[in-house]
Amino acid sequence: MTEENELKVEDLWLNFGRIQALRGVTFSINKIELLGIIGPNGAGKTCILNCISGFYRPQKGRIFWRGRDITNLASHKIAPLGIGRTFQTLTLYTGLNVLDNLMAARHIKIKKNLITGALYFKWARDEEIRHRRYVEEIIDFLEIEHLRYRVLGTLPYGMRKRVDLGRALALEPKLLLLDEPMAGMSFEEREDMARFIIDIIEALKIPIIIVEHDMGVITDICDRVIVLDLGQQIAHGTPMEVMNNPKVVEAYIGKKE
Amino acid sequence: MEDILEKAKIGSYVPPIDINDPATNTVPKIFRYQRRKYGNKKVAMRKKNLGIWQEYPWEEGYEHVKKVCLGLVALGLRHGEKVSIVGDNDPEWFWAEWAVQSAGGVAVGLYVDSIPDELQYIINHSESVIVFAKDQEQVDKILSFIEKSPQIRKIIYWEYKGMWKYEQPILISWREVEDLGKEYEKEHPGKFEELIDQTKPEDLAIISYTSGTTGLPKGALASHWTMLSNAYWELIAMPWFEDDDYVSYLPPAWVGEQFFGIAGGLIAGPRINFPEEPETLMENLREIAPKFLIFNPRLWESIASTIQAKMIDAHPFKKFFYNRAQTIGYKRADAELAGKQLSFLGRVINKVADLVVFRCVRDRMGLSGLRFGITGGGPLSPECFRFFRALNVPIRQIFGSSEILPLTAHISGKERDIEGESIGFVAPGREVRITDDNEILGRGDGLCLGYYKDPEKTAETLGDGWYHTGDAGHLTEEGKVIYWDRVKDLLELSSGIKFPPQYVEGKLKFSPYVKDCMVLGGKDRGYVTAIIALDYEICSRWAESHSIAYTTFIDLSQKDEIIKLIREDIGKVNRNLPEAQRVKKFANLHKEFDPDEAELTRTRKLRRTFMEDRYKAITEGMYSDKKEVHVEAAVVYRDGRRAVVKTVIKINKIEE
Repeated sequence: MTEENELKVEDLWLNFGRIQALRGVTFSINKIELLGIIGPNGAGKTCILNCISGFYRPQKGRIFWRGRDITNLASHKIAPLGIGRTFQTLTLYTGLNVLDNLMAARHIKIKKNLITGALYFKWARDEEIRHRRYVEEIIDFLEIEHLRYRVLGTLPYGMRKRVDLGRALALEPKLLLLDEPMAGMSFEEREDMARFIIDIIEALKIPIIIVEHDMGVITDICDRVIVLDLGQQIAHGTPMEVMNNPKVVEAYIGKKE
Repeated sequence: MEDILEKAKIGSYVPPIDINDPATNTVPKIFRYQRRKYGNKKVAMRKKNLGIWQEYPWEEGYEHVKKVCLGLVALGLRHGEKVSIVGDNDPEWFWAEWAVQSAGGVAVGLYVDSIPDELQYIINHSESVIVFAKDQEQVDKILSFIEKSPQIRKIIYWEYKGMWKYEQPILISWREVEDLGKEYEKEHPGKFEELIDQTKPEDLAIISYTSGTTGLPKGALASHWTMLSNAYWELIAMPWFEDDDYVSYLPPAWVGEQFFGIAGGLIAGPRINFPEEPETLMENLREIAPKFLIFNPRLWESIASTIQAKMIDAHPFKKFFYNRAQTIGYKRADAELAGKQLSFLGRVINKVADLVVFRCVRDRMGLSGLRFGITGGGPLSPECFRFFRALNVPIRQIFGSSEILPLTAHISGKERDIEGESIGFVAPGREVRITDDNEILGRGDGLCLGYYKDPEKTAETLGDGWYHTGDAGHLTEEGKVIYWDRVKDLLELSSGIKFPPQYVEGKLKFSPYVKDCMVLGGKDRGYVTAIIALDYEICSRWAESHSIAYTTFIDLSQKDEIIKLIREDIGKVNRNLPEAQRVKKFANLHKEFDPDEAELTRTRKLRRTFMEDRYKAITEGMYSDKKEVHVEAAVVYRDGRRAVVKTVIKINKIEE
């Protein structure tokens, strides 16, 4: 294993009963890189993210994070390692406001216990101020100052997606997994989101894996692309190479009779 | 409070700084004077950042201005050279201007939402050698035409987000400029003070480009004397004090903010507050509860319609009390305007209405601490005045322009006469004359020096020592000025009767469902008509609550129920207009007016000729017997794509 490879996925196999969701997927991601994973519906894109973040257990294969084998680690132990993710279907607290949603995401960073927090000792207070500051920086970064105290459930979908990204950023991720961050968004919202993703790479200098349907976005912003079809990796390369690959065209459009 | 009101009377208030004193006769000199006076003891500015109000005492501002000024000198800025500034309202904007002026340069303000072509025109016309551009968005716009502006030496940005990967040598960050300034100071100690001493009142301080309702923008020249004397007379007309809070929200590129917020703020020394983001204005306003505000009519109108829209949604219990209180408030407002004294009982009822309802509404909207609000930059409809007066929010009109400000105002000491029908009294230190064709002329201290590189226009507008406003109106016996409209915009009907379209539009726009509108007439037309742009948000909410199904804005705008709603509101307006000026037909446009499609100027004034041409089909339809017209409108989407939208627009008659 070379040093530059932050994350390395080796020969990943995942079955649900007799359905083979992933069939020998292998890839790695470098230090500052945006890797796109695309493929038709049911190709297994989200399964890869779920394997990395510990929601699914692959039957075969290994996942290494900075040289450490994390294949069978529980998901709550993977998050503190610095692997943050967003979800295709939102998993935020709809009854809390934006600020509280982001503060809640900081819980793995909070060291003080219930008692010091309840009594609001100086060190507990200082810690909260520190976390609040970090959250405020995320709010500033994502330009959602005007939504700070809005209850999440009242926000439009595009804004909730932005908050979901903020929640992932609150974990101070060293690797970010984005699951269809632009699905169901308007053109303008998609452009904003693309800009934020590029800004994250430039500002935090971390690798990002993005699963997306929107080919336009992928070709515009990704450094490298992996194409999946029926759990199999059918192409791999720069966006231009992949777009011109006949196998990819076949997977998406079908074979010429 | 009584004391302040007493002090605020004309004649008893003297601005704290003598602008004729050689120690305080330029903008940088006053800045230095105030810093010596207040130092670290008083907060000059506040800006909300990361959710917290960050305070900047005078001393800190002075340090920034000093470093940036010397940084500019190190970058080669020479006396008389121009520097453009584009960005949101930030302390950095103000500091940049003072730094430029301290270095002997001239500041040119640009609007943040200008498209690259507009920026390029002004930057090149003013020959700006350095540009302050707030963030990535503004920098990108300028970089897009940089090869056509070879005179630009540096672009200075002060917001770093997104700027990590820019490696163009022409870019330099605010911090780097300050570092250059620090270095420069080590080699030339005392240089900054020396530079300030060298500024003279007759030096150019700013060029303010007018928004361009008529053709290309023209640059009005203002010296330090112009800026300070305009600010001085403004303060006399409407005093403010060092413990006031002021909210800087209108673009600093606009002359009102220049003379009021920047120059007036320097002289009077209040605390200047900057909202966190333009979107958080209302929230921040409530936190600040300013004593003093200057908004354009559009903002006041949007506050009024926000209140109305929120009341439409309110609980019936609250609605009941609000409606009762409003009736009481309107009665009082009307009585006051008519010069009548309220009965004792009337006063008691009003006090109760104020305690129970108005006080809470004012608090909600952040208007609770307001001594008075100013509206400037266009006429505010009398309905809006009456609305705010009923809420016990004193609003005053100020009338003027880049050439002279204020020319007329609802001045302190004559509060009784504040009403929407006039634009106030001739301001102190000003003279007003009305020509035979109803044009308003004005003169006084600090009259504009002319237009940059446009001697023809200068001679035409300012040649005889009077400023020809191009506005029509008349002067009453009490010295009040009634504004009609632009001289060239007065419309004539075939009957020969002239009428002011903007005035009618202002009245129509008071309907919460109408966002914008354009009133039509003309020599070959016998009656007045209107094109209405609906307020989508409010109309859709109304449609929802009345179970009216619709697909798009286009569909909603032509629904019979919506047309009926608008017809009723126009009917109400018609009742208060003279017969000849009444709107006889109207059409709901399928979209909102959009500055990005050049239908409005950046300050949201209508471009009438352009609009008449664009909506020719509708216009012609309204002056024929047609019941509906087919419209093809070219639409430019936000991403630059173009398309043609075909739709049917109904022409609606208003029965008497």
